[in-house]
Amino acid sequence: MTTPPPKGIKTLAIWIVVILIVAAVAGVGGYYIGHSIGYDEGYKKGYETAKPAGPVLPEKIKIGSLMALSGFLGPMGQKIKLGVELAVKEINEHGGINGRPVELIMEDTGTNPTQALEAFKKLVEVDGVQVVIGPMASGEVMAIGDYANERHVVVISPSATSPEITTKFPDDYLFRTVGSDALQGKALAEIMLEKGFNKIAILVLNNAYGIGIEEKAKEVLGDKVILTIRYDPTKMDFRTELDQIKNSGADAVLYVGYYEDGRVMFRQALEMGLDNIQWVAAEGVYGESMFEVEEAAEFMSRAVMGTRPIAPTGIRGYQVFSEAFQKEFGEPPSMYADTAYDATMLAALAIAYAGEYNGTKIKDALTYVSQFYVGATGEKVFDKNGDQLTQFYEIWKVEKVNGEYKFVAIGTWPKTL
Amino acid sequence: MINWGQVLFNSAVTGSLYLLAAVGLTLTYGLSKFPNFAHAEFMAFGAYAGYVVAEELHLGFQLSFLVAFLATAVLGAASYLLVFRPLSRRGASIIHLMVASIGLGFFVRHALQQIWGGAPLTFTVSWSCFDVGPVRITTLWLSLIGAALLMSVVMHLILTKTKVGKAIRASSSNPELALASGIDVEKIALITWMVGAALAGVGGLFRAADTRLVPLLGWEILLPAFAVVILGGIGSFYGALIAAYILGLAENLGVVLLVSLKLSTDYRLAIAFLILILTLIFKPSGFGKLFGEGIKPV
Repeated sequence: MTTPPPKGIKTLAIWIVVILIVAAVAGVGGYYIGHSIGYDEGYKKGYETAKPAGPVLPEKIKIGSLMALSGFLGPMGQKIKLGVELAVKEINEHGGINGRPVELIMEDTGTNPTQALEAFKKLVEVDGVQVVIGPMASGEVMAIGDYANERHVVVISPSATSPEITTKFPDDYLFRTVGSDALQGKALAEIMLEKGFNKIAILVLNNAYGIGIEEKAKEVLGDKVILTIRYDPTKMDFRTELDQIKNSGADAVLYVGYYEDGRVMFRQALEMGLDNIQWVAAEGVYGESMFEVEEAAEFMSRAVMGTRPIAPTGIRGYQVFSEAFQKEFGEPPSMYADTAYDATMLAALAIAYAGEYNGTKIKDALTYVSQFYVGATGEKVFDKNGDQLTQFYEIWKVEKVNGEYKFVAIGTWPKTL
Repeated sequence: MINWGQVLFNSAVTGSLYLLAAVGLTLTYGLSKFPNFAHAEFMAFGAYAGYVVAEELHLGFQLSFLVAFLATAVLGAASYLLVFRPLSRRGASIIHLMVASIGLGFFVRHALQQIWGGAPLTFTVSWSCFDVGPVRITTLWLSLIGAALLMSVVMHLILTKTKVGKAIRASSSNPELALASGIDVEKIALITWMVGAALAGVGGLFRAADTRLVPLLGWEILLPAFAVVILGGIGSFYGALIAAYILGLAENLGVVLLVSLKLSTDYRLAIAFLILILTLIFKPSGFGKLFGEGIKPV
């Protein structure tokens, strides 16, 4: 995921709010990190290799979190942060990290890279945080990347998928618990080829998320791409863009957008009569909020299918996580709440293994312990760039049953693990 | 192959929105001699007023326009009477007034956000779509163009045929002389603020119905609206009329051009601003001069 261009005037207002926010979540002591999911062999092995508790860990262990609680990804961020909160609660219920309770400090990025950097600086300089879960958008991650490396603070994003994060920041303090869009771009392109489309229009957000998928998909699609449009999500007047696609003779559209612009895009696409060709979309428009606009829902049920990263189907870790989440919040986990949960658990494990609250030590520990962790979304092994080695995608479409719209899974990519 | 009919139609839609958004801005700028940044919030306010009528009270979409018009007229009057007139009477400069307008905008925007929240709201009204030749049209887009057209005709008649209209033009071009000729300049200003705000409210409602409703709605079109004001010549209604459609056309042709150049359509506004910069360099008073109106931007 990535970020739309900043909305300047909002910054001041949001800053006032940011200054007012002080989040403090504390728990009671105990000995080891453990939670219901962790009890498989790999997890135990990882745990047993952990060094014994040292006096070097602080009384309270701070874990920072940067989430887009407002702005374009606000509706999504409000759900994703629950994954972090659940993990922290479970860690504290099981005695914290080596007996030290975890304190979660959550900051809003407003889906804005500038604000994300300001909030990150606050976490690092004011709170002295060494590990941060988030931010959600690729643009935000890239905005804080240099600062994180300079100050040796570990950043684990649950949802930043741009391949640019790998190329711009190889082998550093940036990690992610979701696969790079190098994989999703390939998945989308292969699905389109398999369906037999050969005149493809690409319509993407003009940001790291959109362009990342566009470039990877083009590597697979080659000269089957007849038109590429990178659009501004704040413009909301997409008629001429859509008309270009309509007149290009495309038989399918590869689309990357977010909720807010996606809903307007789909509505205007329905109005422009673009529901007669297949749209294949990335996960940015996956979510029930899309259905709040009747025309967007209708368009999706007529013409849209897509991909989204998921835990490999049927794994036990996801079931356990999902039940715990449902019990805690009374709703099923949203997309990326699971990867946020895994990111938090991995951070805690790495702190325990490092035995010291120090970003450099935690970074080295993180790559190592990831080999033994199997979480809500399955194996989470990091390569040397902090990227996931594998990622599994669900292929979805929208069905209209008795006037109600819902997402249904129609396959996976790859077809089997 | 490019469907020029559609591009022209889309330009008319974009231009009509900009026109509704800019008319009030240019008239109040011309008369009160400062750029009113709270104009963005007038648009958002009108849209929320319309939302209450159409979506919360279910009184119909047509009525929501009337309410948006009237409610925003009241807001415009209140802004003038409670904020801008007292300040001007105390000799506030253009900077004071401008900053006050930003403050007023903040106040209104955050009040809206407190009441309705920051999450996007949508209108559930459906428009029918139909094709005229190769051009796809919806009833909403058609009514937006219709509203802009109707407004233009009515404003033209008011400005040329009525005493109030002539007084507005007189007060705008020379306040001292207008005062000396017995025109109640403050009363004329009040009327202008009401009408200008009301039109912004209607424009905001159209924008919200076409996209979605957020407290920052007005800010998304305030920049092009200012461009229209400058391009048309500050205070010039007829200049704004031409400028709005030129900008709409430039943006939509811009999309076609940018796509064919394989550039992001993010830059569409840049094309509009290029026109603006060239205007400022070569013809600083905008199109207003053509009609004997408009003042140089300070």
